[in-house]
Amino acid sequence: MSAVIQFKNIAFTYTQDMPLFSAFSLTIEQAHITILRGENGSGKTTLTRLAMGMLKPLKGSIFLLGNDIASMQLGEIGQKVGYAFQSPEKQLFAATVYEEMTFPRLLLGHPEQEVFDRADQLLKQFDLQAYKEMYPRLLSFGEKRRLAIAAMLMNNPSYLILDEPTASLDDERVEVLSAVIEQQKKEKRGMLIVSHNEAFIRRHGDRIITLERGYVIDDSYR
Amino acid sequence: MTAIAKSDPRSKLLIAFGLSTLALVFNDLLSLTALFFMGILLNMAMKAELLQIAVRIRKFLFLMFGIAVIQSVFSSAGEPILTIAGLTLIRDEGLIKALAYLIRLSTVVVSATILSTSTRRELVQGLVQLKCPYEIAFMVSVAIRFLPELRNELLDSMTALQLRGIDLQVLPIRKKLKIYQYILLPVLTNAILNARELSNAMEMRAFRAFSKRTDYHTLHMHKVDYVLLTVVFGAFTLLSIGRLWV
Ligand SMILES: Nc1ncnc2c1ncn2[C@@H]1O[C@H](COP(=O)(O)OP(=O)(O)OP(=O)(O)O)[C@@H](O)[C@H]1O
Ligand SMILES: [Mg+2]
Repeated sequence: MSAVIQFKNIAFTYTQDMPLFSAFSLTIEQAHITILRGENGSGKTTLTRLAMGMLKPLKGSIFLLGNDIASMQLGEIGQKVGYAFQSPEKQLFAATVYEEMTFPRLLLGHPEQEVFDRADQLLKQFDLQAYKEMYPRLLSFGEKRRLAIAAMLMNNPSYLILDEPTASLDDERVEVLSAVIEQQKKEKRGMLIVSHNEAFIRRHGDRIITLERGYVIDDSYR
Repeated sequence: MTAIAKSDPRSKLLIAFGLSTLALVFNDLLSLTALFFMGILLNMAMKAELLQIAVRIRKFLFLMFGIAVIQSVFSSAGEPILTIAGLTLIRDEGLIKALAYLIRLSTVVVSATILSTSTRRELVQGLVQLKCPYEIAFMVSVAIRFLPELRNELLDSMTALQLRGIDLQVLPIRKKLKIYQYILLPVLTNAILNARELSNAMEMRAFRAFSKRTDYHTLHMHKVDYVLLTVVFGAFTLLSIGRLWV
């Protein structure tokens, strides 16, 4: 089975006096929906940020789809793997929902019609067509989250990393998100999802990893 | 010397203001150099950590230096100094302009480092006691307080944008400018929302319910401040007169 993320013996710390990860190794397979869980502050977000090249390990190396991320640009990483931040506001930039969906591809010079078609299709799939002309920051939290995920799918990434996508969503919204995740799974897109939501974990997880202060304390497949 | 290091924040504010204003007004190398060395001397007397600060803002210093080099290379006025293969690279006027620019900016930087020897709170109190309206003093203090956060947010925003699949290295300059618009818009929106929240929170605690605020800490000028201010502003005056005269 092919690996999507490999942490090889990495060390990482924010502050010198309390190391977060030391000699940490973990391999995550592309085909699975892998769930990462653990208490607040156990290092889940840090691990996903390391995998995306936003943070650099002090020691060891990290491979993404077989490439050492030390030699990759953030833009290149973002085209291969979609990342949804814990707070979706962080990744919304444009003045309208439609522009939010289309601007990165247009900037990069992709054919307009192709970009617009894909945006329309995704907005429909995420039930956001009605908000095309709205300022993204005025959307509700659940809508922002869906927009952030829809926008990163514009690049047609082969893998997704979602940091607490269920946080502050009511049951109905979690249901909408679950449908999105099932759709992605049908399209053979693997995912790493940070989550605390037990029902959600049981429903989607192929593999469940529990983290505690920088160590894997439980790792089980279903 | 230790006495100068403990001088009143108001003296430092006045000196920094005078120094940076003159640096912007003067445009000849000699006066600018004199100002710059005055700034360095004052920093030493006030025990500013010039080296540490220089290391911290090194990127900005490099940028400053880079602009100066570009200015001197592309200037087309004056006599040639350096010509390579028939192509004039540096002319005397360009070089002088670039040097003046470099010294001027350095002087502004060293006048700011004088202020770094007082705490933010002392400086705000100094501004208030200099009869600066409290709103402005408060805004200055908030701005300084949020500057590092603003910087972090900009960096985060830059990262998040790149992760949307935008490879900054392959983007032509014109499109790169467009990128800055996408980054600045949300960061500024956040900053404004933060500021509004802060001011609401303060009003709820009855800030400015009474028009005259009483201060718990008040600053007092000492002999050393009067001597220092007389000497420094005396030197400023002499320099200005010298400028007019020459
Ligand atoms: N930028 C930072 N600077 C310093 N310390 C940090 C920073 N970000 C996180 N930390 C610390 O690192 C540890 C791990 O944080 P991380 O955000 O990875 O945890 P998490 O498992 O995602 O927690 P949560 O469930 O609250 O999202 C925490 O103790 C946190 O305080
Ligand atoms: Mg987290």
